[in-house]
Amino acid sequence: MGALLPTQGEDNEMASASDTITAAGLQGAGMRERAWYPYLLIAPSMITLVVVSLAPFIYAIYLSFHEAKFGRVRDFVGFDNYMTLLTDERFWNSIGVATTFVFIAVPIEFMLGLIGALVLNQNVRGRSILIPLLFMPTMMAPIVVGLLWKIMLAGSWGFFSYNVLERFNILGETSIFASPELALYALIFVDIWQWTPFMMLAFFAGLQALPLGPYRAAAVDGANPVQMFFHITLPMMTPLLAVIGLLRFIDAFKVFDTIYILTNGGPGTSTETPSILANKMTFEFWNIGEASALAVLVWIAFFAFCSLFYQVAKKRLNAF
Amino acid sequence: MAEAVNRESNRGLFWTTLVIVYAAIMLFPIFWMASMMVKPNEAMFARPTQWLFVPTLDHFSYVIEQGFHWSLLTSFVLCTVSTALVVIIGTPAAYAFARFEMKGKDDLFLFILGSRMAPPVCLVIPFYLIYAKVGLLDSFLGLTLAYMTFNLSFYVWVLRSFCRDLPVELEEAAALEGWSKPQIFRRVVFPLLRNGIVATSVLCFIFAWNEFLFAFMLGGKSVTTLPVSIPKLITSQGVRWGEMAVVGMTALLPVLAVVFVLQRHIVRGLTLGAVKG
Repeated sequence: MGALLPTQGEDNEMASASDTITAAGLQGAGMRERAWYPYLLIAPSMITLVVVSLAPFIYAIYLSFHEAKFGRVRDFVGFDNYMTLLTDERFWNSIGVATTFVFIAVPIEFMLGLIGALVLNQNVRGRSILIPLLFMPTMMAPIVVGLLWKIMLAGSWGFFSYNVLERFNILGETSIFASPELALYALIFVDIWQWTPFMMLAFFAGLQALPLGPYRAAAVDGANPVQMFFHITLPMMTPLLAVIGLLRFIDAFKVFDTIYILTNGGPGTSTETPSILANKMTFEFWNIGEASALAVLVWIAFFAFCSLFYQVAKKRLNAF
Repeated sequence: MAEAVNRESNRGLFWTTLVIVYAAIMLFPIFWMASMMVKPNEAMFARPTQWLFVPTLDHFSYVIEQGFHWSLLTSFVLCTVSTALVVIIGTPAAYAFARFEMKGKDDLFLFILGSRMAPPVCLVIPFYLIYAKVGLLDSFLGLTLAYMTFNLSFYVWVLRSFCRDLPVELEEAAALEGWSKPQIFRRVVFPLLRNGIVATSVLCFIFAWNEFLFAFMLGGKSVTTLPVSIPKLITSQGVRWGEMAVVGMTALLPVLAVVFVLQRHIVRGLTLGAVKG
């Protein structure tokens, strides 16, 4: 697995410098009048994205300011939907659930991923077979991930329920998904199973791209592996760790499929994330105005995180 | 010297064994689900867990009876068509973003990233209402369009990082030769970019293949994809576990093929190009 950009910061600047030269060169070759050419190339994509992504967003904003129930849009109500939402206990509960989910799952995935990457970075043989196998949980359909764990954790006969939870008497209930206290942790466990491989292999790709020079110098100075890790590996990996962590953090907030098939927010509202709540508000309660308000709020929060990701990745990692 | 080599190879063996054991434990649920495809119901619900059983094809025949092969076909055609569209529309854009200076490029770029990152559940609400109005619910075209939100943005974003790896000198030389820009794109850029296009579009195919929410909410009786047919097996007469295992494993097969073929590019794709695999 190949190169990581931070080690090539200077190359990157040079690349962008030569990009400019190219543009000038191409224009020098009688292309100056074709300034519209790049816009022509991006036009189909941008138009499509405006239709499929910006238009729905604007429509959601419009809906969020109207009373809309059962698919019928009625009066303009100003910020009423937002006020109802922000005073709704269920909304704050969903934010709490998602926060718990993300702040437990992501750090564990991060640590396990880093440890896994360091192990994989030893002289492990047969990586070309092992890496694709390890990638399976991340690449498979989330709905199938949900199904797998529904089978493993099914009450009484599920393989994991019977052979682990019941044998060691970890919980008295028939199914872990029926327990309001534990259902969320079961979902976190599933998320960790699904996404640790991603962290592990992304970090591994980063480790593989580190330059050897500093390690040789440190070995000459008699540094031990632990010192090397904390003084060389970790500092050089920091930008990458930040970017991957942030990306996973953003993704973890919008998990839907696995939760939908495993608990659909239950029991009660104990595993109800904003995604699940928005879905219920729309397709079960048909309270579209309020659901749209929720969607808009979530969207804005995501966009903020998204631009943070972009800034960090661009400035610190020199990616993009 | 020989001893040092030996010790090194022993350590390699230790780490390799460790990773194999880890992989075996992690992948065990998948093996278990695979075994359920041919497991009779009595053995499935047995307590204690029953390891040996007489295989049965009942689950397969039920799945065929219910017409799940049509879902398979729907999924395949839908994903192929939407991916092909993404490649046609997105390739020039990715190239333009990598090579040319444009006004507001950063903002456009952030907009693309934003469309990729937006939680699907926020999109599906307006999509549903708009589609209900214009009659695109439960239609092939509707889903193809909806898949563009995440796949087109993903494709442009990741392919741009592949474009930036190409040496610009070839294009400069071609420009000096007096080739037109479309010619340069077709004859110089496209052949060099082919691997990147294949890798990125296969990932798009997989994302569409795995997609659940849009297909579930915007699809219906006539357009049912494979992931959507899974929860449908949770019936009022009980859950058809064996059948779900069959459909789940079917959905998993292309993914298995892809992870082996694309292994170097998956990291790059999933990190949106931030890490070069």
